[in-house]
Amino acid sequence: MKTPQFIFLASLLASITCIAASDSPPIVVCYPGGPVNADDANAAMGSMLRVVERVGHWQAGSLDSLFTAKADECRKLMDEKNPKFAITSLGVFLEQQERHHLVPVVQPKIKGQTFERYRVIVQKGKYMSLEELKGKTLGGTVLEEPAFIGKIVFAGKYDPASFFQLKSSNLAIRALRSLDKGEMDAVILNEQQFNGLASLNLNNPVEVIFTSEEIPLMGMVADSLNSTADERTRLGNALAGMCSDSEGKKLCQLFGVDSFAIVDSAQFEPMTKLWKEGK
Amino acid sequence: MTYRYLFPAVLLPLFLTGCAALHRDQVQFDHLSDCPKQSESNLASRQNELGPLSDTQTLACAVDFLRNNKGTSLLSNALGSRLCLNLAERETDQDKREKLAGEGVAFAEMALSKGGGDDGAVHYYLAANLGLAVREHLTLAMDNLSRLEGEMKKALAKSPKIDDGGPMRLLGTLYIKAPAWPNGIGDRDKGLDLLEQAVKEFPGHPLNHLFYAQAILAVDDGDARAVAKSEFMLGEKLLLGGNWGYSRPSWQKEFDDFRDDIADASGAPTQPLAMQTRR
Repeated sequence: MKTPQFIFLASLLASITCIAASDSPPIVVCYPGGPVNADDANAAMGSMLRVVERVGHWQAGSLDSLFTAKADECRKLMDEKNPKFAITSLGVFLEQQERHHLVPVVQPKIKGQTFERYRVIVQKGKYMSLEELKGKTLGGTVLEEPAFIGKIVFAGKYDPASFFQLKSSNLAIRALRSLDKGEMDAVILNEQQFNGLASLNLNNPVEVIFTSEEIPLMGMVADSLNSTADERTRLGNALAGMCSDSEGKKLCQLFGVDSFAIVDSAQFEPMTKLWKEGK
Repeated sequence: MTYRYLFPAVLLPLFLTGCAALHRDQVQFDHLSDCPKQSESNLASRQNELGPLSDTQTLACAVDFLRNNKGTSLLSNALGSRLCLNLAERETDQDKREKLAGEGVAFAEMALSKGGGDDGAVHYYLAANLGLAVREHLTLAMDNLSRLEGEMKKALAKSPKIDDGGPMRLLGTLYIKAPAWPNGIGDRDKGLDLLEQAVKEFPGHPLNHLFYAQAILAVDDGDARAVAKSEFMLGEKLLLGGNWGYSRPSWQKEFDDFRDDIADASGAPTQPLAMQTRR
């Protein structure tokens, strides 16, 4: 969920999480490759925390969180802060799952779904399959996590780093314009980006040559040894009601999140299996 | 004539508080009894002199005249909106600042209703005041993004040179700071292009350089960071060397706020130019 929605969720969840344990370490929020300045994100989340404090009748200023858009810094923060709760991408969750005993707690629901699909698009007629893209350029924001793309999105069938020439970018629109100009051979998009294609008015038609299986949206995770079941339940329930709150509802609408759903852990088990089996 | 454009530095970030509506009540000015007797012709003849170099009392007296003379032809141009923006920019109290900006929006709306729609300045000051009025209110800002873009586009089409490229500066920054595709109107490539154009066509305005530097850093192109630092330093030099009147303190604050970011980016501290010149 590498979009502003992720940040929104991050803000929201970070707030709630801290509420549950105000003397706990800050929530670590990892957003690898996101087009968000860390200062802006921290300021934004701070503002969001204030909203949640007010809405939830918790003490003002009692909430705290730490944000990073860098994968290395995320690993460092997870190790240093040993947080009870974190907001992560699915890739970070899978990578850190064993080391920090992570369990998913809450995930967003967008357009009624708690999963998404990734797609690879090309200029219409140029390539018919992923195999034809061997050695060609592939762009996209989601390439900031190549291991996730290889193991989960491509289900271990392709190693992005060796199969393609990767052109990672923190601007999806830029990658798509490069595709449109013929400067890029293909672009990989998440669900939200794919759904936004129509609004771009590209000069050349594009087509999908690869669609992933359903991949669950990731939201908040918890260290199962550091946090209690009660804490996780309380936070989950609080978030599940967040989009029903008058102001929370408007914020949810702004970012296209229908609601937050208590996670069915079984949904993530195939992902964990793929990750462990992945090359 | 130049004055400050105070569009939100963190409009995008989107998680700011509040659902308040645009202020429509007026700031009560002090010492209005000390205002010189004014007439429409008198004010019309010196309207172009009123700006950042004018003292606050002079501006307040002019606004008070407009408030109390609804039949004046001066209400069909951008004067009232511009005066309010000048006052708002130098106002340190947030509530008063937003009231002044809200009144600036109202003056511009009145000008439009009186046939001032062909004047790009009316659209420009409407957008600048609106940006200032909503910058601290997430939902209000989001609700007005489309209107802001529309007014800025009209200003750019009709009066691109106003305020040393003000419409380019505003619209460029809006595209940098607004939620990006696919969630919003934000478009960093467009924003960078506009801000680069503003710097090239109007190199004498400090904020053109500052906002371009901020945009470069926001887009984070790596190699371009040296350019960002160079633009920042050039902008500050212009600020210190020019007579920017009452705009200077708030502009200096914007430069100071950005100084740490540019230092982080370059790996070396950027000493305030004023401090360097004192040595």
